Amino acid sequence: MKKISLSILMISLMFFAAGCAKKYVAPPPEPKKETVKEAPKTEKAVPKEEVKEVIVPAEKIRESDAAKKEAPEVPAPEDASAIFRDALFDYDKYDIRNDARPVLDKIASYLKKNTKVKTLIEGHCDERGTNDYNLALGEKRAKAAKDYLVSLGISAARLSTITYGEEKPVCTDHDESCWQKNRRAHFVVTEK
Amino acid sequence: MRKNSRLLIFIFLSVIFNFASLTDSYARVYIDITSPAIRKLPLSISVTGPVEAKEIEGTVKNDLEFTGIFSFVDQDVPGAEVTAHLEVSVSDEVTVLWSVTDLIENKEVFRKKYSSSPKSVRAIAHSISNDIYNIITGKDGIFRTKISCLIHSGAGSRGLYLMDWDGFNPIKIVSAGLTSSHTWSDDGRFLIYSSERNRQWSIYRFDLEDFGETPLYSSPGLNLAGSVSRNTVAFSSSRDGSAEIYIMDTDGRNVKKLTKSFGIDISPVFSPDGAKIAFVSDRGGTPQIYIMDPDGSNARRITFEGSYNTSPAWSPDGNWLAFVGRKDGKNQVFMIKFDATGLRQLTFAGNNESPSFSPDGMFLAFDSDRDGQTGIFVIRINGEEARRITPKNTRATSPRWSPDIK
Repeated sequence: MKKISLSILMISLMFFAAGCAKKYVAPPPEPKKETVKEAPKTEKAVPKEEVKEVIVPAEKIRESDAAKKEAPEVPAPEDASAIFRDALFDYDKYDIRNDARPVLDKIASYLKKNTKVKTLIEGHCDERGTNDYNLALGEKRAKAAKDYLVSLGISAARLSTITYGEEKPVCTDHDESCWQKNRRAHFVVTEK
Repeated sequence: MRKNSRLLIFIFLSVIFNFASLTDSYARVYIDITSPAIRKLPLSISVTGPVEAKEIEGTVKNDLEFTGIFSFVDQDVPGAEVTAHLEVSVSDEVTVLWSVTDLIENKEVFRKKYSSSPKSVRAIAHSISNDIYNIITGKDGIFRTKISCLIHSGAGSRGLYLMDWDGFNPIKIVSAGLTSSHTWSDDGRFLIYSSERNRQWSIYRFDLEDFGETPLYSSPGLNLAGSVSRNTVAFSSSRDGSAEIYIMDTDGRNVKKLTKSFGIDISPVFSPDGAKIAFVSDRGGTPQIYIMDPDGSNARRITFEGSYNTSPAWSPDGNWLAFVGRKDGKNQVFMIKFDATGLRQLTFAGNNESPSFSPDGMFLAFDSDRDGQTGIFVIRINGEEARRITPKNTRATSPRWSPDIK
């Protein structure tokens, strides 16, 4: 029931958006870096002698490293990188912005043409919120993007979501232009 | 392997060493720390012995200074009302024979001997600090407690660490996945935490007795650890779509849903008596702190100032909540009474997040970027004496103060 009313809301919002659509300027594509995740591992025991020698790691998170994705990505067809742009969000908000609709519309029409493609939608936040709340907010963003695509007829089974909160920024400066880049739903093609 | 880890726990967590209370005749409380105007007690400390003696003296002074209730008087200058004398000797073991003398009554009130492996010099010193604090105030000190936190290394990875209350002896206990919120059990025997592994946020338990990890709860969506009260874990899960508050047993059984709203409900924390749960909800349009009964009923809003209040932590006496509020574009630590009165701001410089009370309720740990890289700080609850306890070049976040570990 909630989903149906949400879909109706989405659709009515789309009509509203069509009536007052702003000129959309596409953001430049962001470099993507993928890596294979290590197998989960827990340190079961630290030998007695090591206790004193544990040194607190001193390296800072580097931007490129922090932006790495955890799971292997299946390379999408050539033209996909221009399609799967980030949908951006307002501060502390998880509703789909007017300027994010054309981005998601393009993704939807691509997914309709390429029926085997599946994507993971990552929800991200800027650094200003607190960690747990940002994880919840990032999840809301990923789900808002998913719901929007579902409302356009894409099967929910082709769209998975994960939140990374503020943990994986694409930009690490402390200003609004950077924060805006980080407040995003990011698409990773997982099957093509 | 198991034997080794037990040995580690033996050394790390409890450092139980031989001690003998030789005299224990103090009856008087020198400082009533519950009184509103605390006078500082003039104290002198003298040590004899090899180089370890200096480390013990430094550690004890560092501990006691942080409390704000002692003024240190040089041994050769009159004015001290109480003096502690430590005789340190080192052979295969470090032995500290020490005594406390009331200089007003000119009477030795306390005599004790500690001995242990040379690796445990700091633990001995913290025990001496606890003893002195107890003699002077009648209360238990927190100098043998631990603080857990996340330490971030390169490559966007991070580990869950335990360290002494003063930041010494950090050891990594969990390195798998992307670990986030974590919390201590109220008996200090295990930690509950969330970790993202293979694109799934799940809740795990780490037992400090055998250094073993157990998966506790997972479902599609975001599952975040909240807090533990006796045998119950409060957590948040978005398994039904939006993040709601749940409880379960500490073995992951008997999952019960407590809240139901379209928005975000996260960060549940039990009051110390287990009779209330504080949590964060955006049901009113912005994230705010609420309190409800442990069955999910009678939710009421506590914070009304500002549009972003999250990360509640309950004081050990149950009267106060510390939380993070956004003010003038920065995150600050605030305290408020559970009846929504008495709001006060504790931090003012930089961003300050993740407050956690010491088990005696006298101090808070939090993370801050006030002087550069985000690190762990401790502060008195009156806002004085903020100290960074992790190295300046280390990114460390989300401290959680352990309960008393006996």
